[in-house]
Amino acid sequence: MKRIFLWWGERALLLLVSCIVLFPILWMFLTAFKRPRDAYSISLHFKPTLSNFVTVFSDPWNLGEMVVNSVTVAATTVLIAVPCAALAAYSFSRFRVRGRKFLFFLILSTQFIPAVVIILPFFLMFRTLGLLDTRIALIVVNLAIVTPFVIWMLKGFIDAIPTDSEEAALIDGASRFRVIRDIVLPMAAPGVLTATIFCFILTWNEFLFALILTRRNAVTLPVGLVSFRTEQGDLWNLMSAAGVMITVPIFIMALLIQKHFTRGMTAGAVK
Amino acid sequence: MRDRPLSYLLLVPAFLIVLATTLYPLAYSFVIAFREWDLTKQNRPGTFVGLDNFTYAFTEPGFLNSLWVTTIFVVTSVVLTLFIAMSLALLLRRTGRMHTFTRIILILPFAMSPALIGVSYRFMFNPEFGVIAKGLGAIFPALQGVPWLASPDLSMAILVLTDVWHWSPYMTFMCLGGLASVPRETEEAARIDGASGFRIFFGIVLPQMKGVLMVVAVLKTIFALKMFDQVVTLTGGGPGNSTETLAYFIFNVGFKWYDMGYASALAWILTGIMMLISIWYVRMLLSERKVATA
Repeated sequence: MKRIFLWWGERALLLLVSCIVLFPILWMFLTAFKRPRDAYSISLHFKPTLSNFVTVFSDPWNLGEMVVNSVTVAATTVLIAVPCAALAAYSFSRFRVRGRKFLFFLILSTQFIPAVVIILPFFLMFRTLGLLDTRIALIVVNLAIVTPFVIWMLKGFIDAIPTDSEEAALIDGASRFRVIRDIVLPMAAPGVLTATIFCFILTWNEFLFALILTRRNAVTLPVGLVSFRTEQGDLWNLMSAAGVMITVPIFIMALLIQKHFTRGMTAGAVK
Repeated sequence: MRDRPLSYLLLVPAFLIVLATTLYPLAYSFVIAFREWDLTKQNRPGTFVGLDNFTYAFTEPGFLNSLWVTTIFVVTSVVLTLFIAMSLALLLRRTGRMHTFTRIILILPFAMSPALIGVSYRFMFNPEFGVIAKGLGAIFPALQGVPWLASPDLSMAILVLTDVWHWSPYMTFMCLGGLASVPRETEEAARIDGASGFRIFFGIVLPQMKGVLMVVAVLKTIFALKMFDQVVTLTGGGPGNSTETLAYFIFNVGFKWYDMGYASALAWILTGIMMLISIWYVRMLLSERKVATA
């Protein structure tokens, strides 16, 4: 009797947790398909419409430009950060040479620096260089956040790969670069993919840098949300449509690598 | 040691990135922190003022307020997140279809843009048409028409709520990782000996989770100190300056008042606080190791 009670209790709790997590997201999705009038009521009876998505992509909101900016910034950041970080992670994982412990600590400790500290000098430098409101500026600052993080994650993944086949290949006369390319990278592929997606998510959702460094030309999606706060009030239906545009690609990525994702979340931290 | 040069060569690209994107700006901001620089008046760093920017902070109400606001925010959000994450981890420890489903659902808040989370909660707590505000009003008539985000205490509570909603899942996964390393045999043995679930948790599981929980606590503290996005999109620091955290205050000083010297000094104070916490944490972990190996 007590057993059955516990069994149902546990499932009820899990259901409650899922609802608490899902509800705000579902509500945003519903609102994205509501007409303005329905968006300002909490009724669930409404005729769904796609007009919000049409509106946000047309003048004056031009979400399309923001999508291009977000994709360009996130993709370029990932393309620079992940290969560089992968090489560094391999070095940190496989070689035991003096001074590298300090370097590893140095790179990791940059993760503890608040973004507001580095954004001030960057703002001033980009201002002098005429790079404010450009995608280049955003890519540079995002590299600061993402690179140490990916090194940390990938080191955890590479540490877990046994070194036997690498050593055998080295004895057979293969070069280190060949070993990295042909043996380590394929084995670390799930880790690299996870790190890449993590890195993409971080950059895609980044808000502070984009808020300060962009005005019109390089605005990214999260900053675009703020523009739906107008003098006529907050345009919730449009904001939600933009929110859906921000969220859907990220959710798909996160769910695709779901198994590795939870491992990546704890990589390095729980040691 | 043919590989020695190579081992460093592999580090060069990543290290150059860190140098250019973090270490150089840090050094630059350190220099500015000791200067007077009003960006609306001059384009180059002004006169050297020694520690003035730092000492000014401790007499200025805006900074002292943000320090207080940050303390309240960090303490409540860390304690709540830690409690929820540990409870959820215990709940999710077993396997089953519902457990797997919940685990997958838990990935979503972490993947969501914090700025969007702020916006969504602002919408849902609107007293006129917000679904949570209305829902709470329907269930508890006393809460009808409560101006959630217009009251200093309540808007702080909602800010904490959004942060807990955002981070608890991530911290739950970290706790689950820690739980996985606790051997089940000892627990089973204790259960057979008739120990209660309560005693098993406090006597066996919790002591072994100490290291992980400390990592979680420190990471969460650092994330909470940095928290910025939701302040902008949820409360805008208000009402008044009741939710103006240190990170948001520095942003205001820098990009609304354009006082670069003062903003840099404040940024370094925030970094100092974080460094102190990290050092304290590393020392705690080290002493913990010593006890473990002794």
